[in-house]
Order: sequence, then C-alpha cells, then structure tokens
Amino acid sequence: MLSSELLHIGLNHYLGLSAVIFVIGMLTVLLRRNLIVMLMGVELMLNAVNITFVAFSSFNQNMNGQVMVFFVMAIAAAEAAVGLALAVTIFKHYKEIDISAFEQLKS
Amino acid sequence: MEAAIVFYGLSFFMTVLSLGVLFNPNPIMSALYLVLTMIGVSLVFFMLDAGFLAGVQLIVYAGAVLVLFVMVIMLFDLKREVYTFSRGFFTRLLKVFTGVVFLIILVKSFFLVPETKELLNSSTQMTTKNLAGLLFTEYIFVFELLGLLLLAVAIGAVALSRIKGGTHAE
Repeated sequence: MLSSELLHIGLNHYLGLSAVIFVIGMLTVLLRRNLIVMLMGVELMLNAVNITFVAFSSFNQNMNGQVMVFFVMAIAAAEAAVGLALAVTIFKHYKEIDISAFEQLKS
Repeated sequence: MEAAIVFYGLSFFMTVLSLGVLFNPNPIMSALYLVLTMIGVSLVFFMLDAGFLAGVQLIVYAGAVLVLFVMVIMLFDLKREVYTFSRGFFTRLLKVFTGVVFLIILVKSFFLVPETKELLNSSTQMTTKNLAGLLFTEYIFVFELLGLLLLAVAIGAVALSRIKGGTHAE
C-alpha cells in the first residue's frame, strides 16, 4: 500500500519538492553574506513557487496557474536587474559586496 | 514506475544542486549550480505537461538571468570569501531551526489540500494555444502593465549603476 503511494507520483510529491527547494533558498538568503548569492537564493524561492503553480495548474486542469508563472518570471527578472544594479552601487563605494555594507547605503 | 524513477532522480539532483548554491563559498560556482537547478525546474515543468513554460524557463533563467548574474560577478574582482556565512553560532542555529520548522509546516499543510478529482473538467486542454488565449484576453491589462514595469526597471537599473561615473568610478 505504502509502496504504491510512493510510486504513483501525485500532487503532493511536486509540492514536497517545491517546499524543499523553497527552504534551501530561504536558508541561502538567511545564512550567506555575499549579496549576489543572496539574490540567487531569492531566485531559488521564486522557482519553487513556480513549481507549485504549475503543479496545481496541471493537476486541476486549470490554465490560470501557468499565466501566473509568466508574471512571476517577469517580476523575478526585474528584481534580479534592480538587485544587481544595487550590488554594483554598493561595490563602487566599499569594494566589497558584503551585506553588512548595505546599512550604509544612504551616502 | 518509470515516471517515479525519473521524478525521484530529478528531485534528488535538484536538492543536491540547490544545496550546492547554499554551501559553495565561490559565487561563480554557486551561479553554475543555480543554472543546473534551473534546468531541473524546466524538466519538472516538462513532466507536468507545461512544455511551453519549460522552454521559457530555459530561455529566461538559464539563458538571461544567470548570464546577468555571472556578468556582474565577473565585473567585481571577487576573491574567495573569508566569511561565507553570517557570524554567530546561536544565530546560525536559530536560522537553520527556522528553516526546518518552516519545512515541517509546509509538508504538514500539504495533507490539508483536498484530493483533486482526476481530470476535473477536461474541456480546457493544457495547450500553448489556450495559454496564449488566456494571456491575451483575460489577463491583457496585467500583461501590458508588466511591459511598463520592465521599462521602468530597465531605466531604473541604468540610472542606479550610472551614479557618479558608473562602474569605472574612482
């Protein structure tokens, strides 16, 4: 019984995968000091949410979730562009991209 | 059976690769692990019958966003980091504990999701044509708004990085 539950890939399996990746992304943002790697953690979290959207969309036969994934992708690209521009600004002032330099952003 | 093997293999590799993003002290290596994770996400989309989104994921993330990341890393003269992780043993422990608790809450909450009936209404087929139809009729206003947002972001990013002579400032 348990093995058939494990072998039949359902909605919960995809949600579990997305939860694991989300938490790893969250820990990347919390634990790392490098600003660029923290932005990578944000990208991981957004991708985990995208997996959730597509999984629900696929298992409910509802197209709206996939449209949301488009919007999330566009927002993620915009967020990466602004975040990296901020990283460049920080680097010009302090010659490092440690997150602790951010508290002096207002020059 | 085959689907299960593919799924478990894919999830194992994606977990290991995203842990690589978390633990590798070299930002370039983190970026490379992130590319591989993105390709894994794209394969998951493909398994979920979202072929068009899988392609978009490959182009946008593995193609564009990660190139942006790698370019910015190369712009900086980054040495190997002395302090990879935030300092403080107790703080670190608290952060990891928060992550584990959050994971447990998420997984527990999955069992509250009501069982979806198989093929609830098969009238809407999961095709790219339907996706485009939805995007350009029901969501057209949001779509246009998104174009405006991207324009604003492009101008903002240029303005931010050109303050006082851009990347070549003394």
